[in-house]
Amino acid sequence: MLYRTAGQFKTSYAADHALFPVRQDAWLLGVIMVLAWVVFPLAASDFTFQALLIPVLIYSLAALGLNILTGYAGQLSLGTGAFMGVGAYACYKIMTIFPGLNLAVAIGLSGFFSAAVGVAFGLPSLRIKGFYLAIATLAAQFFLVWLFEKWSWLYNDSASGAIQVPNLSMFGLGVAGPTATSITQYYFVLAVVSLVTIAAINITRGRIGRMWKAVRDMDIAAELVGINLMKAKLSAFAVSSYIVGVAGALFVFLWRGAAEPNLFDIPLSFRVLFIAIIGGLGSVLGNYLGAILIVALPVILNIVPEALGIPVSSSVVEHLNVMTIGGLIIMFLIVEPHGLARFWAMIREKMIIWPFPH
Amino acid sequence: MKKLLSTTILSATFAVGMLAAAPAFAEDVLHIPNLSYRTGPFAGTGIPLMNGQRDYMTMLNERDGGVNGVKLSYEECETGYNTEKGVECYEKTKGEGIVTQPWSTGITLQVLPKSNVDKRAILAPGYGFSPMADGKTFQWAFNPPSSYWDGAQMLLSYVSGGNLDSLKGKKIALIHLDHPYGKEPIPLLEALAAKHGFTFMAIPVGLKEMQNQSAQWLQIRRENPDFVFMWGWGAMNAGAVNEAVKTKFPMEKFLGIWWSGHDGDMASAGAAAKGYRAISWNVPVNDAPVMADIKNYVADAGKSDTPADQAGWVFYQRGIAISMFLVEAVKAAQANFNTKTVDAEQVRWGLENLKIDEAKLKELGMGGMVVPFQTSCSNHTGHGGAWIIEWDGAKFNKVSDQLQADRAAIEPLEAAKAKEYADANAPWPMQECK
Repeated sequence: MLYRTAGQFKTSYAADHALFPVRQDAWLLGVIMVLAWVVFPLAASDFTFQALLIPVLIYSLAALGLNILTGYAGQLSLGTGAFMGVGAYACYKIMTIFPGLNLAVAIGLSGFFSAAVGVAFGLPSLRIKGFYLAIATLAAQFFLVWLFEKWSWLYNDSASGAIQVPNLSMFGLGVAGPTATSITQYYFVLAVVSLVTIAAINITRGRIGRMWKAVRDMDIAAELVGINLMKAKLSAFAVSSYIVGVAGALFVFLWRGAAEPNLFDIPLSFRVLFIAIIGGLGSVLGNYLGAILIVALPVILNIVPEALGIPVSSSVVEHLNVMTIGGLIIMFLIVEPHGLARFWAMIREKMIIWPFPH
Repeated sequence: MKKLLSTTILSATFAVGMLAAAPAFAEDVLHIPNLSYRTGPFAGTGIPLMNGQRDYMTMLNERDGGVNGVKLSYEECETGYNTEKGVECYEKTKGEGIVTQPWSTGITLQVLPKSNVDKRAILAPGYGFSPMADGKTFQWAFNPPSSYWDGAQMLLSYVSGGNLDSLKGKKIALIHLDHPYGKEPIPLLEALAAKHGFTFMAIPVGLKEMQNQSAQWLQIRRENPDFVFMWGWGAMNAGAVNEAVKTKFPMEKFLGIWWSGHDGDMASAGAAAKGYRAISWNVPVNDAPVMADIKNYVADAGKSDTPADQAGWVFYQRGIAISMFLVEAVKAAQANFNTKTVDAEQVRWGLENLKIDEAKLKELGMGGMVVPFQTSCSNHTGHGGAWIIEWDGAKFNKVSDQLQADRAAIEPLEAAKAKEYADANAPWPMQECK
């Protein structure tokens, strides 16, 4: 009923392989786009921008980066937080060495630094897989955070050891730093995230994406059919770390405004990994759903008791919040082990055949 | 049917909630947000401080009906010492709140540049960025009554008997949390070491090593410094004191900053840590009239979360002192602007014209609890000095007269760092002071 596919005929292979085989998918995306580009920015307050919209987008982007590596190419990584840090510190150095540079260019460039670091730490993946590889990326995590702490050149020898985002503007409009307005920052982040998402969809649906999936499903078989494993694995590390690095630069420049090294420590890696797993490995949509669950839901739950006028202290709410989110994660994983993206796919399937289930 | 039922329950809850929320807007209130942390790895140190802050506010509401007839609404927003939650809480509270109390050097660094834009003062008593003392540059930030650099200088002058040149050839180690907070005194200590000819060494303790500092204390034993200063927080304090006891490091050579003088942290070492000293700008005075009032109006009425045996803790009474600073600023602003419900900008004026002298402390029933100080347009710290407190195995006692920092030794560095900060964040608005 809601998702009536009757009358939508495919007359060519191209149509059958289109991004939106069902017309309603495109409409739904259109609605979401209108919400994201028009309705939210017009309606949101500073709090909504800073605590909900911007972080959800940035975390989705980081999870998308990780998902390419873990979900599409099957290489487990625990170093996402550190790779985000590489992007952030690279962007900071670029912006302080070339103060006049356009921030968008700097963010684009900083991704290459994390891509290079990612490839370097991806080298062990040629020899080891699974948990062993996870340990190798864990080493990257510890090493890089240590480097952020000890290499004072990275933070321009500031006494506090933290990096601070200066006021930056593009075309006369403040985009980063304290004077930037939330709405500009939101549009900047949204534009970057949209661009990267489109690129990611195209890569994962194309030749390279199929190559990664083949490696993920069985690397020996992939090698036998002529896929160059080294190229496939390292390209996955490069693309993934590039996206993660861009997310890290956005994380500090467009959202936090300041960062100390331990921000990029292992809890951040786990957070991004949770988003990717709960959202659904091997999907693009899942990253957004996961980020909404892990990043936005706690914030919303935090304001619910107050909005209802229930007098509960903030620390109790925090404890309840941790319990609720933990419970929800377990529930979702039991109900649908393949993540929220699969959950949505099932709902969509049901809607297509409704009201006649088989 | 089931769905209908849950919808009904949900809407009923909403309706009840709305009804309950409505009367809250009926009277004049001042919203005082606090970015508290009662959860997370630093909760042990956070809870007594936040309890003290809250109990003082509750006491004023109960005893005097607020401040000049305006109720104080003290609202906590839980951060768990997490900078990410800090942003969330800052955004959440900036609408109604009249001040920001960030409670973490990391969060302070994040909100400091925003304070100019959002026009809301940051109150960071005894923490944050030391150059915040320069009121011309940091118009919206306040760290009374003493900054970390004041603390470091006072510790040096205390161990040298007032003459820093007598430290020549000696070795001073700083065991610190490897975090913006712990690194704060290093520039000053390095500068003073070069000037007075003593050796300075920084020994960082990573956030992950807080509870296992054996490597650091091995290094201390090898280097055998004449004095060890500590800039520790949370679990690190107890870890360091226990490790010092274990390696038999002489306690009389071991001194901490005010955040390392916490009764709760010392409890596990107990009598073995006797002789450990810390510098503190407040000391517990259990028979002070304000403590009696808090007991009467708050604790006995069942409105306090503080166990009776913790009311004598340094940190609990420091929380009371911090709330007092803020309330006095509100009072000053009310008097100056002749309005009861002061806004954030007026509170900033109040913080800038804060005069806490001996007479005032007596009047508030807080004589001897906190160092007297006075802020001004160009001086946002007040530089009230501090006392040395010593652990006797069960509690901290005041063992020195009031110390004063040698400001002449600190000011040049303060001015340089403030300028550096303003330049890095250009365009940075400066304030003219008469």
